[in-house]
Amino acid sequence: MAHRLLGSTAIALTTLITLCAQTSTPWTPSRLPDGHPDLQGYWTNSTETPLERPKGLGAQEFYTDAELAALIKKDQDRVTLNKDEGRPTEPGTTADVHYDYTQYGLDRGQAKLSWNRRTSLIVGEQGTLPPMLPEARKRNAEIAAKNRGRGLDGPEDLSLSSRCIVVAQESVPLLSGGYNNNIQIVQGDGVVAIMSEMNHSVRIVPMDGRPHLPAEVRQFRGDSIGHWEGDTLVVDSTNFSARNPFQGSGDKLHVVERFTRADADTILYRFTVEDPETWDRPWTAETAWSKVDGPIFEYACHEGNYSLRNTLQGARVAEKEAAEKKAGK
Amino acid sequence: MLMAGMPLWAHHSFSAEFDSNRPIKLRGTVTQWELVNPHSWIHIDVKNEDGTVTNWMIEGGSPNALLRLGFTRNSLPAGTEIVVEGYQGKDHGSIAVGKNITFPDGKRMFLGGSANEPEADKK
Repeated sequence: MAHRLLGSTAIALTTLITLCAQTSTPWTPSRLPDGHPDLQGYWTNSTETPLERPKGLGAQEFYTDAELAALIKKDQDRVTLNKDEGRPTEPGTTADVHYDYTQYGLDRGQAKLSWNRRTSLIVGEQGTLPPMLPEARKRNAEIAAKNRGRGLDGPEDLSLSSRCIVVAQESVPLLSGGYNNNIQIVQGDGVVAIMSEMNHSVRIVPMDGRPHLPAEVRQFRGDSIGHWEGDTLVVDSTNFSARNPFQGSGDKLHVVERFTRADADTILYRFTVEDPETWDRPWTAETAWSKVDGPIFEYACHEGNYSLRNTLQGARVAEKEAAEKKAGK
Repeated sequence: MLMAGMPLWAHHSFSAEFDSNRPIKLRGTVTQWELVNPHSWIHIDVKNEDGTVTNWMIEGGSPNALLRLGFTRNSLPAGTEIVVEGYQGKDHGSIAVGKNITFPDGKRMFLGGSANEPEADKK
């Protein structure tokens, strides 16, 4: 697997350098009968690049070739070491519980473009989220305080993701998580469908110029409408529910996603986020999706969600043990 | 490390369901494998020191993740002898989460079940 990772890295480097420098000779996408580029197929948005720029890099938006090679080597050494040892983490530590870190790396490493020269997905000199507005900080602190007071009395005390209702990876914009970072795009007559493997949800994006849903309609993944700007698919999403925030956003969240075929194996995915009640300015991030083999597997999250029962059962046992301890038993 | 700040999505809070202070290593025989979402479950009969047998329920990764890690639906037929390393459930009963399993021929496979705390992934 280590070998495979290295092999894919080489492709990633070549492609991304081309993307970043924007000096490539234009690649001509294959087109559908309606004349628009064909974005269809299976993709992964797995990436090793963090959303925000790591501290200490300042305004450096791209790694140099040497820096990137060193980072990849460091990661490679770690993977090789872990593979040989068969036990990558310290027993008893949270990190050991229980995802094998090398396997996470493996999962991401399967994407051809999991490495690229970007130091952060967020573009520009800043490379980080804009400072949160004071009222947004207050709002989020209140939400956090409310959540802290929550126990494990019943299933509704658990998060939306634990309850399989909505998860981050299927939300808007589309960012990768630990696993199942696979997306299928299907273009139909007047609609584009974007399916996320994680939680198996399909976003149907109308392309017929209709307006957004009435403002009072709020959805966990918002309301998306799309149009073409040249060869770029532009998807505009509003009508979000603050119950499924993105990076601390509120219900004024507005996301514009731009999908552009960069070459036969790549979609350049760029999105701009604004929320006047959360940040004082919009911010933009960019990542590359790479082609993967299908199919997308079903993820019927509710099917065997024993974890809720186990969690609540564990909480009851903990309460009982605490009560017994208090009673001096 | 590049992973810094990467929000690894935790489907279930590990710490709410399993006890990191109770690592376990179990040798047992597969009685059933539920290849279901969001996490798979392997049931194994484990012989206790007193000769009795306890049926343990071991959490593994989602079927999607397992298939991509090299498992097939035929990987764990009933009767397969395996060793599981993992952590016991918070109810301190015969429920656990598996980190990995080892087959009699020494082959070890990762079992990727419910995610750990996101904080733990910030390297």
